[in-house]
Amino acid sequence: MRVCIFEDATADNFCPVNLVRPTFEVRCGAVSLRERILRGYADAEVCYFVRDYLAPAYRRRMGGAPVNDPNALQGDDLLLINGRMLALGDWPAAEGPEQIGLCGEDVAYARLSATTVAALDVSEPLSLVQQTKSKVETVPAPQKLVRYPWHLVEHNGKCIAADFDALPKKGVHGEMAELSAIYGDKEQVYVAPGAQVHPMVVLDTHGGPVIVEEGATILPHTRVEGPSYIGPDTHIVGAKIREGCSIGPACRVGGEVEESIIHGYTNKYHDGFLGHAYVGEWVNLGALTTNSDLKNDYRNVEVYIKGKLVDSGSAKVGCFIGDHTKTSIGTLFNTGTVVGVGCIILGGSEILPKYIPSFAWYYNSRIARGGGFEAFTHIVRTAMGRRQVEVADEEVELLRAVREMTKTERNEAIRKARK
Amino acid sequence: MSEASIAEKVRQVVAKQLKADLDKVVDDAYFVQNLGADSLQSMELIAAFEDEFDIEMDEDEAVKVKTVGGAIEFIARVVAEQHG
Repeated sequence: MRVCIFEDATADNFCPVNLVRPTFEVRCGAVSLRERILRGYADAEVCYFVRDYLAPAYRRRMGGAPVNDPNALQGDDLLLINGRMLALGDWPAAEGPEQIGLCGEDVAYARLSATTVAALDVSEPLSLVQQTKSKVETVPAPQKLVRYPWHLVEHNGKCIAADFDALPKKGVHGEMAELSAIYGDKEQVYVAPGAQVHPMVVLDTHGGPVIVEEGATILPHTRVEGPSYIGPDTHIVGAKIREGCSIGPACRVGGEVEESIIHGYTNKYHDGFLGHAYVGEWVNLGALTTNSDLKNDYRNVEVYIKGKLVDSGSAKVGCFIGDHTKTSIGTLFNTGTVVGVGCIILGGSEILPKYIPSFAWYYNSRIARGGGFEAFTHIVRTAMGRRQVEVADEEVELLRAVREMTKTERNEAIRKARK
Repeated sequence: MSEASIAEKVRQVVAKQLKADLDKVVDDAYFVQNLGADSLQSMELIAAFEDEFDIEMDEDEAVKVKTVGGAIEFIARVVAEQHG
């Protein structure tokens, strides 16, 4: 049996957090959607189907695993899984009769035999499902598919708790200084070997578990409320980490963070509030960068998705920031703001527009042209070099592709700003 | 728009944006080395040129322009392309 994890047509809903990664590589909990899906299928062969422009970089990141390879759909029974699946213990059965599981109109999974697939014109997973829909049993799928980036934030706490339960070891295996404390159920903590919890740190497990990964350092005067996840080699510098936070590897985080997901290699070193937000990789949030996550009239927050405002259905929604974006000191994000990849934001003391397209700059109160791709890649190489991460050619080409595909909306925003 | 007129407007925009004396805004003046533009002012210049001439510049090409004379040539070309 081979597992095939695929992106579907809703990928655009997750822009900008999935512009440089497949949707199933977004984080929710301690791991990505993909990693939690694959927890249900240890040792299975896996192949992936993603948006075309992602394939070269993703293939490289996955060490040569089949990406967008129709041949990988042949030769074995298949379990196609929608990469938006939360997979909280309810994995679709690997074995069993052919079946398609639907969440509403969306394909959550499809279990197809090698014989069925061999008889079909196979190019990618959803076309396979389309060709078999009339012949294979269709059932409502019990699994949940996330549809928008705020759903990742909403489910983050629950996923951290599930990921904690799945840990092979719990308890304190790293260093916890004498003057640090676990406040609450001491069984609800995992401090990995090599992690350091300094004096005057409180890990509060009343709300849920706290996971501190290998090499992470939590500096004095930090309080971490569970459920929260602190990734490998991340430094928490005197911060208030409120419930529901996932902070990925090699981040530097200070100030106040609440119910947010921060991808790896991102810095929010100084004071400032980040709440109900999703922040990509290699972002730098300047001191006192702050976002609103609650409107003063308590109404549902609307978020720009594909150029249109979408009612999030929630009063608590923060901001969504794409990879490699940098903000200046004192940047203020409105409730439900979307900021693309590679932006430079000089926010000043005003509330920013709710949508800033990828590779745009914002200064002097308007969206404006950036400094060119060469200057951008110089920043990328410098930032990544500081963490001893090499920039592969495929990653540069991926960023170039994203810049090109966002050109029209960026030019439109710049044009509007000039009026 | 004549090239002379474009050149005049470019010099005025540069003088205003960089708060430079107009007599220093000569063709071979470098924005950074001679007229003191910092990185943000360099970006603001691009925006100011676009506003003044009602054009859209390719930023990869625009950031390669280092001198007043270079800007005049570049903008004249873009104006011709976009306004005929």
